[in-house]
Amino acid sequence: MRRYLANRFAGMIVVIFLVLTIAFVLVRLAPGDPASLMLGPDATPEEVDDLRVRLGLDRPIAVQYFTFLTNAVQGDLGTSLFFDQPVVQVLGDRAEPSIFLALFSLVVALAIATPIGIWAAYRRGSAGDQISVTSAMLAASVPSFLTGLLFQRFLATDLGWFPVSGYGGPDAGFAERMGYLILPAITLGITNSALILRFTRASMLDILGEDYVRTARAKGMTERRVVLRHALKNAGIPIITVVGLTFALLVSGAVVTERVFNLPGMGNLVVNAVLRRDYPVIQGTLIVVAALYVLVNLATDLLYLVVDKRVKY
Amino acid sequence: MIHRTRLFLTAAATALLAAPLSAETIDVAIIGEPDTFDPMVSTKDVVSIVTQHFVETLYTFDDTWSVVPLLAAGMPEISEDGLTYVIPLREGVTFHDGSSMDSADVKASLDRWLEVASRGKAIADKVSSVEATGPNEITLTLSAPYAPLMSLLAFSNSAAAIYPEEIIAPEIETVIGTGPYKLEAHQPDQYTQLVRFGGYTQPTGAAERAQTPDEIRFIPVPDGNTRVEGLLSGQFAYADGLSTEAYDRIAEAAGAEPVLLEPFGWPVFAINHKKGLMTDLNIRKAVQAALPFDDMLFAAFGDEKFFQTDGAMYPEGWAWRTDAGVELYNQNDQEKAKGYLEEAGYDGSPLRILTSRQYEFHYQMAEVARMALEMAGFTVEMDVVDWATLAQNRDNPDLWDIYITHSPFLPEPALTSSFFATAREGWNNPEKNAILDRFTSESDPEKRKAVFAELQKIVLEDVGLIKVGNFNALQGKAAGLEGVTPSPWPAFWNAKLAE
Repeated sequence: MRRYLANRFAGMIVVIFLVLTIAFVLVRLAPGDPASLMLGPDATPEEVDDLRVRLGLDRPIAVQYFTFLTNAVQGDLGTSLFFDQPVVQVLGDRAEPSIFLALFSLVVALAIATPIGIWAAYRRGSAGDQISVTSAMLAASVPSFLTGLLFQRFLATDLGWFPVSGYGGPDAGFAERMGYLILPAITLGITNSALILRFTRASMLDILGEDYVRTARAKGMTERRVVLRHALKNAGIPIITVVGLTFALLVSGAVVTERVFNLPGMGNLVVNAVLRRDYPVIQGTLIVVAALYVLVNLATDLLYLVVDKRVKY
Repeated sequence: MIHRTRLFLTAAATALLAAPLSAETIDVAIIGEPDTFDPMVSTKDVVSIVTQHFVETLYTFDDTWSVVPLLAAGMPEISEDGLTYVIPLREGVTFHDGSSMDSADVKASLDRWLEVASRGKAIADKVSSVEATGPNEITLTLSAPYAPLMSLLAFSNSAAAIYPEEIIAPEIETVIGTGPYKLEAHQPDQYTQLVRFGGYTQPTGAAERAQTPDEIRFIPVPDGNTRVEGLLSGQFAYADGLSTEAYDRIAEAAGAEPVLLEPFGWPVFAINHKKGLMTDLNIRKAVQAALPFDDMLFAAFGDEKFFQTDGAMYPEGWAWRTDAGVELYNQNDQEKAKGYLEEAGYDGSPLRILTSRQYEFHYQMAEVARMALEMAGFTVEMDVVDWATLAQNRDNPDLWDIYITHSPFLPEPALTSSFFATAREGWNNPEKNAILDRFTSESDPEKRKAVFAELQKIVLEDVGLIKVGNFNALQGKAAGLEGVTPSPWPAFWNAKLAE
């Protein structure tokens, strides 16, 4: 087990190193210059050059890369060109909305997907099964920005049930900030419920056909106990896998939803950073996302141990 | 059950929403985050809109765009030769750090402005000295008369802001001003919170800055649709930069009203005079003759409510309005353009139009222009990039022939950098340069108007740049909001929401 964890951590470092190298090269290959963007439309070429020197963007790429790498190892991801704050601090400020949005939307997705998925598998081939599968396809096909816009317009603007956008003003407490997440979480949750629903259904279908389920029924166990105790527990591994990956995707990839609802999360941050050519922030976000994926993968694998006693590392 | 759910949700939302808008707090949705609070170093409108509330200049503009004193006690005494400006300063003006403003602060600030601000640097070679000639008096000496000086001192964009001498440095970490509001908190990409400054003294010449709201909060909302929804839901008292498509919806809504800035500005096809095809006057004339400006504007803005097909550099109602040379505007004559191309010996090299979709109307105008230019015999190459790339590529004259941008109508024509040979477009026509010199050194307003007519004429005859027309901009306000004058740079110190 220890050896397994050591290997996984070594692999994790390699992955993060590769990601940050690729990120570094890619953002610099993109045309567009942060200095001219920061100075506004009427800045002269000389002013832009001066700022480039101040920001260290005039140094050879290799030197910039080496500096970046040595600093990153020490936990310093540089300073945001736009905010003039350490990237670690900028990312830290954006972590809260992203993580809570991911958690809430995961709860929404699971609340929708798990019962329907189990029920659809149990009633395989029935009209209800067909309807739930088709609805899942539909939910997955509608882009989240459209769902978001519709919810925003009808539930927030017309009915006034939720705030339209943002994350609260300077005096907003924790509960109020969480209130701003309800609508985006429902939006994201619905979109992501489709995948989890299909996995749950498929996984349950496999299990319900197994001999031990038949045996359980033959022993006179109630249907509820058969499905929820025996089958669901064993259908858990594929469901955990997809839930884990969905979570990582939600934290890092809720770009569109964060944009529509103007949430100051990591998705919004990275889009703005790309538009502003804020190289350190783009790199920093990519590193955090890569680390998150690797960690979630590891956590998922470790969860298998809990769910299925047969799994050994 | 449904009824109960709705009740619960409404109650929950009421508890969860930010403090509802009251007369005390004005929430303003702006198009993005100001990347600096030092208005000297930025020419961005979003920086001007926010910073004008806490940073002030010696002069400002009134509702008719005339220059009036703000931190100055009166208009300057200008010597007969137009070289010396003696500016009296208001006494008893306090900075947000509690210190009093005196001539040493003003001198240090203006020196920095001449050194770091793009509009300051542009005239630095004309300013021989800035001297504190008394505790409440400053004297500016010029090496040549320069009429736009007062407008430059009054403009909030690349502003000649006045800071305490103690904070003056090439880069200022915490900006301290004298404005009616002071910076209370800033959470990047979330809000900038301004609160009333207790030590504020009202200006003597400018309109009252009544400090009506307790707080003004600027909220960066990059998505245009979200700004509209936020305005309609009552979350924002004011929203900037709205798409004209939202006009009808806002007009029909009970809780909001559209604010149409009519006209706001002009889209422009900037021309590369340094290198390539457009350095040939016949090619420039061919482009000008071929373009169907009314079609381009219609494609870009969709409804005549939002644009005017107008070739004069300034719209009706402005002092600078003149018809000189406008017969060359909107010819829409592709045959005539073909004639110019033949005269130029055009070999079919592609005419490269650099544009972005950051502002969709730029792209839509470019598409219509492309069709007309191709009908006239041009080979057109569209280079559609994001704004960051455009901002970089336009500084390299090897990469484009025309790039598309826009500008609000500026109170002083000499603030339009494209007229100057030193601008990136490099329009260096000696005759035009001479007119421009006369324009900037003439102080008599009537004579300046006549010289400006000459300037406009040569812009059209030499095709120095191509003005596409006038366009209106849409902002929106909560129903019952008063005290905000429509402007490209709206200010909120007098804003009041109806009870």
